[in-house]
Amino acid sequence: MASLVQPVSSLMVVGLNHHTTPVELREQLAFNDGALDASLPRLVDTETIREGAILSTCNRVEVVAHTPNLDAANEKIRVFLAEEQRVSLPRFAPYLYTYINQEAVSHLFRVASSLDSLVVGEPQILGQVKDAYNASSALGTLGTVLHRCFHKSFSVAKRVRTETGIAAKAVSVSAAAVDLACTIFDHLEDKTAMVIGVGEMGEQAVRHLRGRGVGTIMVTNRTFRRAVELARTCNGTVVPFDQLDKHLHLTDVVIGSAGSPHYVLHSGMVEEALEERKRSPMFLIDLGVPRNFDPRLNNLDNVFLYDIDDLEQVVEDHKGERQVEAVKAEAIVAEEVKKFWRWFINQEVTPTIVALREQAELIRAREVEKALAGLVDLSPQAKESIDALTRSLTNKLLHPPLAYLKQRHHNDATRDAEYAQETASPHVIRQIFGLDIHEE
Amino acid sequence: MEVWLLTLTLLLYLLSTASFIVGLLSARPVVRTVAPSCLLAACLCHAGAIAVRSLTVGYFAVTEVYEALSFFACLTAGIGLLVQWRLPVSILGAIVSPIGFILTLGVYVFYAQARALPPTLQSAWLPIHVTAAFLGYAVFVVACSASLVYLVQEKHLKQKKASSFLRRLPSLETLDHLNYRSLAWGFLLLTLGLLSGAVWAEYAWGHFWIWEPRLILSVVTWILYALLLHYRSAGWRGRRAATLTIVCFAVLVVSFVGVQFFPGRHGGQFG
Repeated sequence: MASLVQPVSSLMVVGLNHHTTPVELREQLAFNDGALDASLPRLVDTETIREGAILSTCNRVEVVAHTPNLDAANEKIRVFLAEEQRVSLPRFAPYLYTYINQEAVSHLFRVASSLDSLVVGEPQILGQVKDAYNASSALGTLGTVLHRCFHKSFSVAKRVRTETGIAAKAVSVSAAAVDLACTIFDHLEDKTAMVIGVGEMGEQAVRHLRGRGVGTIMVTNRTFRRAVELARTCNGTVVPFDQLDKHLHLTDVVIGSAGSPHYVLHSGMVEEALEERKRSPMFLIDLGVPRNFDPRLNNLDNVFLYDIDDLEQVVEDHKGERQVEAVKAEAIVAEEVKKFWRWFINQEVTPTIVALREQAELIRAREVEKALAGLVDLSPQAKESIDALTRSLTNKLLHPPLAYLKQRHHNDATRDAEYAQETASPHVIRQIFGLDIHEE
Repeated sequence: MEVWLLTLTLLLYLLSTASFIVGLLSARPVVRTVAPSCLLAACLCHAGAIAVRSLTVGYFAVTEVYEALSFFACLTAGIGLLVQWRLPVSILGAIVSPIGFILTLGVYVFYAQARALPPTLQSAWLPIHVTAAFLGYAVFVVACSASLVYLVQEKHLKQKKASSFLRRLPSLETLDHLNYRSLAWGFLLLTLGLLSGAVWAEYAWGHFWIWEPRLILSVVTWILYALLLHYRSAGWRGRRAATLTIVCFAVLVVSFVGVQFFPGRHGGQFG
């Protein structure tokens, strides 16, 4: 973009994310909470970056800025990142992307709506954007434009969440397992889960179950000590491995994550347990590779067995459905970007229009006064027509630039980029008419 | 007035069916509040039609084929509404609404002008007997619906086909619980229906029991439900209980409809 067509000020996002940048580099550039508080004030000043915020998560580091000078701001942000995080600029510069104006707004809205996330639709990102906003807000580095821009991004995210099914589906194996548990059981509060083995997947699943309110958790493992460790982290009780079958009838959800070469659960054991629990349904989640539970258990009435492949298939289906929903979400984002941009341009152009009118009126009034002071014997009618003449002169002279500014506003708002390229910015109008000179 | 109300009822059942289906398919919560309101309106309108008819003929209008059909449709829709208001089973609304619609269509087919009530039916036992029995049948419709949905949900879970539609169906536990509860209530009401019928027969005919197909089948149905309930409380659950509930309901329908073709004191009309 040629500097001639830049608006008085611009919005920009400079950053890098998981799509392009290796994790080692992202780690080095990420700001932790303390570092952010110290660094952010150094980013913002009155000349190049009027408003600024930093969004730093494990997947992305992005600087959002409102600037009157794009090129200078771009340069400043790059140097800022390099200096604050002590990473040489050439190392990370190739990974940086720069979004300007509508693209910048669109990017922020997409990030907040979790459309740019590694797992599209994951819910954490909105909280992270809110944290970034709150931190910058507390440090006083935000002004009208970014305040509004961030608030808009929250409401866009909310719209996307409620109007599309983008976040309705579980997209991790353990979340999918818990979702399935909810299609079997009415509520989980009075249910008991047992985890066999202390594998990482099992631990995750238990944590998910705990998060969804499962009442009791039992842990069993061949090595007793490690069962105790896991039980402590998930607030569960330990069952000795050789007494597994004695406790089986108490459990509604059984998670297998043992590294065992043989099946840990057989039909006989489960059938006995079922008999004892009056055929209350049991949900068996086999996360072990090789499998912990005999696959034929799924043939038993009131027993539902899902192994890791089944769960991964469920997750795959969900991801596909999310992609479909993402298309709807993009449409919402586009619509909201348009609305925001109309506001932004409006608040940019309006002061110029007002200043132009005020200056003209000031000059006119002063000159009329001067002229009339030398013409004492004029009749009141003649004085009035002189006044009217000057008024009409200034109005006629100002009409083209004012019409031009309003037209430009309209074009930008409708994203008529081609036409906007041919028009000068309010900045140029301000220079031509010397609007900023008398302020000094 | 009555026909006018019935037509409105029919339209409301149709609207309710449509909105329940949309509610099941759509992710928007708004639809889910509209559908029960439609069903409630349909029920009230339907009850209004029955009341108008009863006031016109001067007795509780449940003796004609069409009157019985109408009363049963209204009760089924009402019970369905009540259950889906108390439990998270909006699918039930999507089942009872079309049932209400189809039965009300049947009402049009069998519509007849009012006639004088036969002397044997002029009794305070009529409303008690018919209401208890029909309420029982309506509750069994709920039990059967819950079982059907259970089987669908269970099959998909076993075959590991999770879809977003199934996630909106009630959980297996909810459905099984609903099956048990409605079986128990239905059985209680059916028993009341049989007992009140026996007492009434004793008054009207001089014997509490006569050997006619309608009565024999009713008792057979009662025994089947008693057995089902017994095994349920002994620990039969899930698929087996659901299947048997459907079988019992099929027998009930046969005894209810099929018997109309046999001669007998119950024959020729429902009830």
